[in-house]
Amino acid sequence: MITALLILIGSVFILLSAIGLIRYDDLYSRMQATTKATSFGVFLILIGASIFFNNYFVYLKALFIIIFIYLTAPLGAHSISKSDKEGRLEE
Amino acid sequence: MLKLLKKTYYSLIFLGFYLFKLVEANLFMAWDILTPKMLDQPGFIDVEINLESETGILMLSNLVSMTPGTLVVDANLGKKLLKVHVLYMRNETKERAEIMRFQRMIKRITE
Amino acid sequence: MTENVTNIILYISLGILVVALLLVFVRMFKGPSIQDRVVALDLTAFIAMGFILIYGVMAENAIYFDIPVIIALISFIGTVAISTYLKQKEKSS
Repeated sequence: MITALLILIGSVFILLSAIGLIRYDDLYSRMQATTKATSFGVFLILIGASIFFNNYFVYLKALFIIIFIYLTAPLGAHSISKSDKEGRLEE
Repeated sequence: MLKLLKKTYYSLIFLGFYLFKLVEANLFMAWDILTPKMLDQPGFIDVEINLESETGILMLSNLVSMTPGTLVVDANLGKKLLKVHVLYMRNETKERAEIMRFQRMIKRITE
Repeated sequence: MTENVTNIILYISLGILVVALLLVFVRMFKGPSIQDRVVALDLTAFIAMGFILIYGVMAENAIYFDIPVIIALISFIGTVAISTYLKQKEKSS
C-alpha cells in the first residue's frame, strides 16, 4: 500500500515538472522545474519500489541510482546552460 | 580525532538540512507551477564564493541548485564567481543572504 | 482487496506518466531553441525510468531494477555530449 502511494506521489511530481516545462516561458525557468521536481519524483518512485522488494541488493541499487541522479542533475543543467550564450559569465 | 568527530557531526547536520531543503524546494515548485503566473521577472545574479576547496564548491552548487527558486548556471573558479538564476528577482537580497549562509555551513565541513 | 487497490493505483500512476510524456513531446515539437529540446529529452529518460520501475513492481520481478541504472548513466552522458557539441559548433562559427 505504501509502495503504491509513494509511486503515485512520485508520478505526480514528474507530471508537475512536465507541466512546468510547458508553462514557463524561459529556458532557465524550465530547467529549474525539470532538475528539481523530476529527480524528486524518481527518488520517491525508487524508494517505493525498493520497499516493495525489500531486498538488500535492491536497496543498494536504489541508493546508487539516487546518489548518481542527485550528483548529475545539476551538472546536466549546468552543461546545457553553458551551451547557451545568455548563461555564460563574461570573461 | 576531535576534528574528525566534529566534521562528521557537521556533515550529518548538512545531510539533514539538504533533505529538508529538498522537500521544501519541491513543494515550492509544485505551488509555483499550479498557481497562475505572478508578475515577477526571472533574472541572473552574481555571487562571490569564499570557499577554498573544489569539493566545497561542488557541494555549494549542488545545494544551491536544489533550493527553491535558484539554479547555478555558470561558475568561474579563477575569479571566484557563481552565476545564479533566480525565479523571483523580488527576493534577490534574501537569496544572496541564503547563499552566504550555505557557504558558512560548508566551510565548517571542508576546512 | 488491498492488492486490488495497489494495482489500481499503479495503473493510475502509469496513466499520469503517459500524460507527462505527451506534454514533454509537445515541448520537444515546439521548443524554440535546441536547448529546450535537450531538456525535454533529458526528462524523457526519467519518465522511461519511472515506467520500467512501475512495470517491475507490477511484474514482481527485481531484475527490472538493473535497467534504471543504465538509463541514468546513458542519459547524463547524452546530455553532456549534445551540449558540448553545441558549444563547440557555436565557437567555430
